[in-house]
Amino acid sequence: MTTFTRRRLLKSGAMAGTALALGGFPRLVNAQGAPLNVTAFGGVWEQAVRDCFVAPFQAKTGATATVSLGGPPQWLAQVEANPEKPPVDVLIMTPDLALTAAKAGLMDDFTVEKLPNLAQIPQVFTDSVIGKGTVFDYGVAGITYNKETVAEPPKSFAEFVDRVADGEFIASLPSIAYAVTPIMLIWAMAEALGGGVDNVDPFFDAVARMKDNLVFWGGPNDFFNHLASGEAELGIYFDGRTWNHYDEGATWMGFINPEEGGSLNAVAVQKPVNANPLAWDYLNEVLDAENQTKFAEIMNYGVTNEEVVYSEKLKPRITPWQNAAFPPYEQIAEVRNEWVDRWNREIGM
Amino acid sequence: MATAVDKTKSRLGARGLRGLLLIGPAVLFLVAFFVLPLFDNAMRSFATADGQGFTLARYVQLLTDRFYLGVTLETVVLSTVVTLICAAIGYPVAYFLVRKAGRWSGLVIFLLIAPLLTSIIMRTFGWQVLFARRGLVNNLLVQELGWLERPLQIMNTPAIAIIGLVHVLVPFMVLSIATVLQGIDRRLEESAQILGAGRWRTFREVTLPLSADGIGTGAILVFMIANGSFVTLVLLGGGFQTLPLFIYQQFNTTRDFSMASAMSTVLLVIALACLYLQLRLVRRQGGS
Repeated sequence: MTTFTRRRLLKSGAMAGTALALGGFPRLVNAQGAPLNVTAFGGVWEQAVRDCFVAPFQAKTGATATVSLGGPPQWLAQVEANPEKPPVDVLIMTPDLALTAAKAGLMDDFTVEKLPNLAQIPQVFTDSVIGKGTVFDYGVAGITYNKETVAEPPKSFAEFVDRVADGEFIASLPSIAYAVTPIMLIWAMAEALGGGVDNVDPFFDAVARMKDNLVFWGGPNDFFNHLASGEAELGIYFDGRTWNHYDEGATWMGFINPEEGGSLNAVAVQKPVNANPLAWDYLNEVLDAENQTKFAEIMNYGVTNEEVVYSEKLKPRITPWQNAAFPPYEQIAEVRNEWVDRWNREIGM
Repeated sequence: MATAVDKTKSRLGARGLRGLLLIGPAVLFLVAFFVLPLFDNAMRSFATADGQGFTLARYVQLLTDRFYLGVTLETVVLSTVVTLICAAIGYPVAYFLVRKAGRWSGLVIFLLIAPLLTSIIMRTFGWQVLFARRGLVNNLLVQELGWLERPLQIMNTPAIAIIGLVHVLVPFMVLSIATVLQGIDRRLEESAQILGAGRWRTFREVTLPLSADGIGTGAILVFMIANGSFVTLVLLGGGFQTLPLFIYQQFNTTRDFSMASAMSTVLLVIALACLYLQLRLVRRQGGS
C-alpha cells in the first residue's frame, strides 16, 4: 500500500516543477506530434474559424489544431519574442502589423507552389503585405445608424461631418485606443475630405467641427452599446458587424457604404518563418473557396477567393472590395505614430 | 556538552533549511515572475531603437514635454481625487457598519462585497444603462417627469469616470477602515467623554486619530488601484488621459514597447513615492 505523506507530496511537486522548468512537458507533447496552433479573435470569430478552417484541415490531414484567442499585437509580440520557435503557427493580422512582421523577416513568402488556393486570391491582396501573407477576409468601415432615430442617414463622409457638426446627430467614432482607427477613420476621412496619407488635416479639422457632438468607442461592443442605449445615433463602424447585430435581433440598425467609399479593413493571414510546416495545409484551407463561402455566411464579411459565390441573403450585404477605398497600408504604417501623437494632443483619449 | 550544542545547532540548521525550502517556491516565483520582468521592463526603457545602446530620451520626453507632464499629473490628480472621495464616503459607512449596524452588519458587509462578485466590465456597463442619453435617468427626467427638455450629458464626462472608479474602489476603503475601527478600545472614547469632551471632539481627537491606520491602508489600496485603472476609464470615457491608457496605446496601436516601458516605470515610481508618503503620514498620525 502506498502511503501519501506530506514529504512525498513535496518531493513529487518539486520533481514535477523541475521537469516542467527544464522543458520536459513540451518534449512530451512533441513526442506525440505537436498540434498546429492557429489564431482567432474571440466570439463568433472563434467558432467560425473552428467550423470553416480547423475542421476541414483536421479531416484532411488527420492532424490536430488548437486555436489561440487574442489579437494581432499580442501574437506578433509572441513571435518577436521567440522567432526560432514561434508559439503560434498561423497569424491573423491587420495589414499594418502584417507589414511590420514581413519587413522584420519574421514571415514566410506565400507562393502558389505552397498554397494552390492562392491562385484564386487577387494579387493585390498578396502584394498589400509584400507577398509574406495574403488577405482572406475584409470588412468595410462605413456609416452605421439607428433607423429609428435617423430617418435619412448621411450618404457620404462629407455629409456625415456637416450634419454631426450642425448638431443633428450625436456620432460615435472609434477612439485612438482601437488599433485600426488610423486606417478606418483618420486615413479614410482625410482621403474622403480631400486629404490623404500625406495630409490628414481635413480629418482633424472635421473632428474639431464635430467635437461637441461626438462620443468615442474603444471596442466594437462599445459602439453597439452607444447606439442601443441612445448615447449616439450613428457612427463609423463595420458592415459585417452591423449585419451580425441585425441578425441577432437589432433590426433597427442600418449600414451605408459612403459615396467616397469606406475604408477596406483587411484581415491577413501569415505564417512565421519557423512555424510548423503543417501551417501550409491549414492556410490552404483558409483560402479555399468553399470554406470561405461558409466563413462569409457566418461572419457577414467579404472574403477574397474569386470563386466564392455569396448567397442571396449575403449578396446585398457584402460591399465588393472594388467599391471600397483601398488604404495604402505601407505608407500609413510609416506615419501612423505621428497621427496617434497628434490625436492624443488635439483630441485626447 | 559540546555534543548537545552541536545537536542544537544542527537542529536549528535543519529547521532553517526547512524554512528556506518552504519559503523558497514563493521567493522563486516572485523573483521569476515579478522582479525579473520588472527589471527587464526597466532595461527596455533605456534601450536605443536598435536595442544596442543606452538612452534616456524617453524619460527626457516624459519629464520635459508639457503634454506628457500633463498626463502624469492627471494620473496622480485623478487617483488622489478618487481616494479622497472614497475616504469621505467610506468612513461613515465603516463607522455605521462597526458601531450602528448591530445584527445587520452581516447584511451591510454582504452589500459591500456583492458588487465585487460581479465583473468590473458588467458593473461599468451598468452605468451606461443608467446614465446614457436615452438611459433610465434621462428617460425619467425628460419623458416621465418632464423636468428637462433635453437629456443630460452624463456619460463621457469626468464626473461619470470618477463615479465609476469610486463605485469600484469604495469597498476597499470601507473594509480597511472598519477593521481598524473594530479594534479601537471604546473605553478611550468613554474616558474622553467623562473628561468633558463632546461627541464631535471625541471623534475628532480620539476616534479619528486611532483609525488613521485604517484610512491610510484604504488610501494606499485605493490610490494604487486607481493609479493603474484602465477598464473603467476605457469604457466610461470622461476624457481623462492617464498613463495606463497611454501604456495600452503604446502596445496596441503604436507598438512602441520601449516608451510603454518608460511610462510604466514612471507609473511605478509615482506609486512607490505616494506609498512612501502615505505610510509616513499614517505613522506620524498614529504616533501623535
